[in-house]
Amino acid sequence: MPTILESLDLDCSLFHSYSLLFPVIRPDATILLEIRNLHAKVGDQPILKGVDLTLRAGEIHAVMGRNGSGKSTLSKLLAGHPAYTVTAGTVHYKGEDLLTLAPEERARAGVFLGFQYPVEIPGVSNLEFLRVATNSRRVAQGVEELDTFAFEDLVRERLKVVQMDPAFLERSVNEGFSGGEKKRNEILQMALLEPLVAILDETDSGLDIDALRIVSAGVNQLATPDNCILLITHYQRLLDEITPDFVHVMAAGRILRTGGKELALELERRGYDWIDEGLESSDQVDSIAPALEVV
Amino acid sequence: MTSTASVGDLVSQPYRYGFVTDIETEKIAKGLDEDVVRLISAKKHEPAFLLNFRLRAYAQWLQMEEPDWAALGHGPIDYQEMIYYAAPKQQSKKASLDEVDPKLLETFDKLGIPLSEQKRLSNVAVDAVFDSVSIATTYREKLAEHGVIFCSISEAVKDYPDLIERYLGTVVPSNDNFFAALNSAVFSDGSFVFIPKGVCCPMELSTYFRINSGDTGQFERTLIVAEEAASVSYLEGCTAPMFDTNQLHAAVVELVALDDANIKYSTVQNWYAGDEKGVGGIYNFVTKRGQCRGARSHISWTQVETGSAITWKYPSCVLQGVDSSGEFYSVALTNNLQQADTGTKMIHVAPGTRSTIISKGISAGRSSNSYRGLVQIGPKAVGARNYSQCDSMLIGDTAAANTFPYLRSQQPDASIEHEASTCRISEDQLFYLQSRGIGLEESVSMMVSGFCRDVFNQLPMEFAAEADKLLALKLEGSVG
Amino acid sequence: MSPGSASAVWLESVLRVFEPSLPAAVGATAGDLAQSRTAARDHLRRLGLPPTRQEAWRFTSLAPLIAVPPRVLPMPEQAFEPNHPPASKALRLYWGGDRDPLAGVDLPEGLSRLETSVQDALLGTVLQTAGTTDSWLARFNAALVGQVLALRVRGRVALPLELVSDCGQETGVRPLRLLLLLEEDASLELLQVHRASDTSLTTVVVEAQLAPRSRLRHGVLAQGAGASCLLAHLAFSQSPASELDLTTVVGGWGLVRLEPAISQVMGAAATRLRGLQVARDRQIADLHSLVRFEGPEGQLDQLQKAVVDDAGRSIFHGAVQVPQAAQRTSASQLSRNLLLCDRARVDAIPQLEIVADDVRCTHGATVTRLQQEELFYLRSRGLGSDQAARLLLEGFCDEILASLPESASSWDPAAALLRKALPR
Repeated sequence: MPTILESLDLDCSLFHSYSLLFPVIRPDATILLEIRNLHAKVGDQPILKGVDLTLRAGEIHAVMGRNGSGKSTLSKLLAGHPAYTVTAGTVHYKGEDLLTLAPEERARAGVFLGFQYPVEIPGVSNLEFLRVATNSRRVAQGVEELDTFAFEDLVRERLKVVQMDPAFLERSVNEGFSGGEKKRNEILQMALLEPLVAILDETDSGLDIDALRIVSAGVNQLATPDNCILLITHYQRLLDEITPDFVHVMAAGRILRTGGKELALELERRGYDWIDEGLESSDQVDSIAPALEVV
Repeated sequence: MTSTASVGDLVSQPYRYGFVTDIETEKIAKGLDEDVVRLISAKKHEPAFLLNFRLRAYAQWLQMEEPDWAALGHGPIDYQEMIYYAAPKQQSKKASLDEVDPKLLETFDKLGIPLSEQKRLSNVAVDAVFDSVSIATTYREKLAEHGVIFCSISEAVKDYPDLIERYLGTVVPSNDNFFAALNSAVFSDGSFVFIPKGVCCPMELSTYFRINSGDTGQFERTLIVAEEAASVSYLEGCTAPMFDTNQLHAAVVELVALDDANIKYSTVQNWYAGDEKGVGGIYNFVTKRGQCRGARSHISWTQVETGSAITWKYPSCVLQGVDSSGEFYSVALTNNLQQADTGTKMIHVAPGTRSTIISKGISAGRSSNSYRGLVQIGPKAVGARNYSQCDSMLIGDTAAANTFPYLRSQQPDASIEHEASTCRISEDQLFYLQSRGIGLEESVSMMVSGFCRDVFNQLPMEFAAEADKLLALKLEGSVG
Repeated sequence: MSPGSASAVWLESVLRVFEPSLPAAVGATAGDLAQSRTAARDHLRRLGLPPTRQEAWRFTSLAPLIAVPPRVLPMPEQAFEPNHPPASKALRLYWGGDRDPLAGVDLPEGLSRLETSVQDALLGTVLQTAGTTDSWLARFNAALVGQVLALRVRGRVALPLELVSDCGQETGVRPLRLLLLLEEDASLELLQVHRASDTSLTTVVVEAQLAPRSRLRHGVLAQGAGASCLLAHLAFSQSPASELDLTTVVGGWGLVRLEPAISQVMGAAATRLRGLQVARDRQIADLHSLVRFEGPEGQLDQLQKAVVDDAGRSIFHGAVQVPQAAQRTSASQLSRNLLLCDRARVDAIPQLEIVADDVRCTHGATVTRLQQEELFYLRSRGLGSDQAARLLLEGFCDEILASLPESASSWDPAAALLRKALPR
């Protein structure tokens, strides 16, 4: 299995003289998620064109990039969304092939996706939904299921992570929630499911500054030495709240640059254009219609 | 994505109540004529007024034609090929449950309706009807202490002839429609409930109907009367064995609510629906109607319709009392080649009357599911209000969902509001639930029961979970 | 129908009166027209007037027709409308009797008479596509009509067309038939005006075929009075990417029934329907619409309104059919009814028939009187209650009137409908 440095060599240095080789924080930490040369398409349109990424326990990664760069595709693909087809490459979770698992099996195993646009599900009680989801994860972990009372205790405690009003439990899943409430509900689910790999897709979008702080504080609270977090974002402002160990820049379906948190600041200052300079003409960002980014 | 196909697969599962009880049955010869009507009446030792009622209905029936306006299709029904009376052999109804044929008790045990003292539900009184007769009614004495009468209609004819004569056929006249006329002529058994003035019935009442014979039509008749300020909650359940022929079930239910009375009538209908090729199953042609005769009276129908090859029923409310109100909450699930044409009629006669209709139809397979409803506001119904909501959920692209609401108003100071929509289980919603570790099967059943939630909330507590389970059962099966 | 009944006698005499073919002023009457006439006459003689037992006629009796004298309604002497001069930017044609509406008229660019051969081939095909050949209205019209106004639309016709049939004070029966062929990318604005003030019957059938990307903005403004009757069957077949915007406004007729029947032959077209019907006295106003999607991604936006006063009766029956082939159809239908008197009656029967599962279909219906809170609000600002009611009523109607083609303004539809139909 190639190391993270080898993969970086392959991926970045090809096009850039400036290639930041960064230290692995805990080289001995368990590799939780390992993505190798991942290619994927939606319909007939190729979106991912060779993504390499390794996430170890205790790390926080951020993937940045403009609309259409493939970052949302990456997150949904990892969760098993049926709209995406993997055409090449591998994804291993704790050494096991992740791609053969059904979406619910991934969730039960500990891979979590916080959605950019959580859907509303009228009629289905939020509390009931959270309980069924939590118990299915617990069964997979070999922990005993919680009855309604024990679960209510747990959920009330976890509500504090995102400072959510218990009244939200009585409503239908996400129905009529504001943007901020939906995102808090996502982080609440993360708090209940205790994933080892948490992918948070544009968790900052649609949040005002107060909500952003609450959600970020929740994520920071949930980050442990045993799990890892992959933040997918457009903007620096989320990274002001949650400090990443690594920042990756995606364009045209590949990770073109990897660096520390300074890379995000540089992007903020210089925009994305300078990243594109290294692209071959056929890979120009424009050739991928943002509309294909399935949301 | 492929999950649409698998969602379709999910809705097919074997029928769990398809067994036949092997019991000696007394049947009369098949076919129907005036003598058969007289014979049924004689077997039940009925008073003259009831025989006359039957004969009049029979004469009317002969003049009528089967209705053909519903969105239903079925071969001709041969009314002479049917047996109109079948009863398990035992002498007259037993005073004590211990004397009831253990096979019958076992049958009901198997259906989840334990009747024996030790096992029966603590807060639900049950009348168990097997083919044409009622075999047991639990908690009769306890109810009698409160003045509540709960017994089979045959017993009521003997014990309370005045009440029967006063109310029978007054809500659904014998010539109301083809199937009601047939029922009036040959009805065998059913339940009678009488709640006297000011009494709130201390427990849930429930009738469980079981068709056992393959060639017998079931024609039960239920009458519920709630006097002034009385209230009652009643539930009926139904199952039948699997036969490859169709059996006719033509029931009539009449409800009468006097001033300030309150009747809540719930149905969980799970007759055998036929197989996946549409062979066999019950033809469920039922007339259910309630009259809010008194001021401020209230009648509420809740139905969960999952069985039968064909369902044709429109539980209705005639709102005659000032400020009276009617409700109709319905879930109808059809699969394979099932056909359902069901809905309600809300007839606003008096001022200040209100009605609410919530209908949820779920169509899967090649089934057809139609909501048909009438809201009529008469010229005197000043201040009447109706709200209707009819939602359809389609599973797969070969099922049909139709909505046929008829709205009529003749009163300017009244309002009718009707909304209808159609949806399917969206892939995004399914993926969201799956991405939280919930399996496809459970996700689908969660969404379906979420879709039906407004209706399930109306069921008595003991049965809400039951209905949810029944629906989940219908949706259970192999994934992929 | 029993042969001796009043309706049978009336129908037979009407058929006899129209037996001799009318002069073929426009196009040929040989071939298809004559054939369909014979077939239709046989059909009617067999079936008579539609019985109210039939679902489509459950709420509407055609009994008022019997009062109409069985004679050919002549073209009124004063065919022109001094009170309603045509808008300067519209071409007005007068329609009815044996007169050729196109005689001596310079048709604007893009508009031409349809060649006889094309007309023969096309006549009846839109009805077939819409599945309404057997509609009683279509059969009745086919049995009487002797000439067809047939037009071809090519490219964008800049000048709005106005087609006026005025029965004036005359009595009798007037059959009218219009055939429109919109070529690819063609567009036309058409206002169809019907007027009558005595015991007359206008029967009209419109067939319009919309080729891909064509656009038709079609208004029907029908103002009747007294015992006048109007029976109109309006059939449209829409190819993909075509747009139909149909607005119907009717009021004042003793009996009026409109039957818009739209078929999106391969889906992917846009249909917008707007309707307003007003009934007072003992008038009956009926609209039966049928929209059928035969392919995916079609759109329907329908809003039908009714105002009913006195002992008037309004019927709305709106069927929307979405078969399996019509995935991703988006259809919305709304019926809003104002009931102003307790002798009046409203029947609303919206109807959805859906087999495709990936569709967005909604329908809604309301029957109410004027909103009391709104009335109160206006009165609290100093308006008298009549004035406030009129203002709200106008607001209710304006939403529909505003979507008539612009040339309708020369007929002052609001005034005609509300002041004549509902003088309060």
